[in-house]
Amino acid sequence: MHRSTLLAESLAVLGKEVASELRRRVALNAIGLFAVTTLVAVAYQIGPYGLAEQDRPFLLSALLWIILFFAATAGLSRVFVKEEDAHTAKALRLAARPLAVLYGKLLFNLLLLLALEAIIVPLYCALMGFAVKSVGGLVLVMVAGGAAFAVTSTFVAAIIARASGSNALFAILALPLLLPLLVAVIAGTRAAAGSPELLAVFPALRAVVSLGGVTMVTAILLFPVVWRD
Amino acid sequence: MVTVRFRDVAKRFGGQRVLAGVSGELRPGRVLVVAGPNGSGKSTFLNILAGLLRPSRGDVQYLEDDRVLDQEDWYPTLGVAAPDMALYEELTAFENLQLFARLRGVHAHDHAALLEELGLAAAHHHKPLGAFSSGMKQRVKLAQAVLHRPSVLLLDEPSANLDEDGHRRVAGLVTRLRSEAAIAVATNDPREMAWGDASIDLAG
Repeated sequence: MHRSTLLAESLAVLGKEVASELRRRVALNAIGLFAVTTLVAVAYQIGPYGLAEQDRPFLLSALLWIILFFAATAGLSRVFVKEEDAHTAKALRLAARPLAVLYGKLLFNLLLLLALEAIIVPLYCALMGFAVKSVGGLVLVMVAGGAAFAVTSTFVAAIIARASGSNALFAILALPLLLPLLVAVIAGTRAAAGSPELLAVFPALRAVVSLGGVTMVTAILLFPVVWRD
Repeated sequence: MVTVRFRDVAKRFGGQRVLAGVSGELRPGRVLVVAGPNGSGKSTFLNILAGLLRPSRGDVQYLEDDRVLDQEDWYPTLGVAAPDMALYEELTAFENLQLFARLRGVHAHDHAALLEELGLAAAHHHKPLGAFSSGMKQRVKLAQAVLHRPSVLLLDEPSANLDEDGHRRVAGLVTRLRSEAAIAVATNDPREMAWGDASIDLAG
């Protein structure tokens, strides 16, 4: 009886996701289209001079995360539904450990989100004149926020994969989990924009890591049941 | 070697009875044919044997050297090919086998030889499955089911969509594997029924 390691299985699932996405570009197109459209619309309507100076850190932080949040939601929610729709889930269930599937798909969503952030955030800062005083702080918030969003989106996507009307269900289930996260990452981004001190982002960062951590532990405990049943 | 023992396996979907109390054993070196008309529960029964569906009544046990395996330990021993199971259409035949070999922890395997044994010419090995006919996909699906040399092989209509040559090749594969695996074949095809050492008829 052969058995692969959990790491090797997770990387195999990740490799499959990347290869599939590079050929089909379903998530890339959905995320890219939404992100670029909203970014251009916001930049065109508000631009670097459309906000009062005292409102800029908060409003620009909120707008940035609204763009990232909805763009990510458009792409990440399909990571499990596409397996059910294409009838490939059965083969994957038989060949891979549940946690390898979770980790592989989570890593894929994380890569997708980090790539989205790497493109959108510098563009947004340039188009909106968003001056960030602590670039290191912003990077920390982006990475931690991206990871927490990826964990939450992947887990909710797994829960809704076999339900009919899964898109609507994703929004309903994800909202209470993602809303506090959104509030925390906006606070962290605002702190990075307003203060050159790296420590300024730590309170928000703690909240992001805590929320992401709790969701991750819940996912590790519940996903095998959700995936097998 | 793994033996699969099933006792009084029944399944209901809502109010509808699909399986009513099936008992028996799947033993290494033997082929069990599961026969019955459409809708008699053949695929449901194989899904229950694979641990993909929970029976409404009864139980299934996997025994290795008289030790009962936990359900998570069933999967590495299992190979399954079924009509409701698809592979990745955007990946090539070879990439699909590579993926499942990695997931199964099979490090050295000649995917090309296996695909050719099932009648898929080398020219097609590096083409995406999306460009394949149903019969070609079925050959890749069967290759995926056996590449890790499973101890338990569950084949649901294995010759579906295959031509005469394909049917002969699947028969050859079953003959080659029957000495090392416990095999169940769900079918209505009289040629596939002839492979069996024992049979269960779900018609009643």
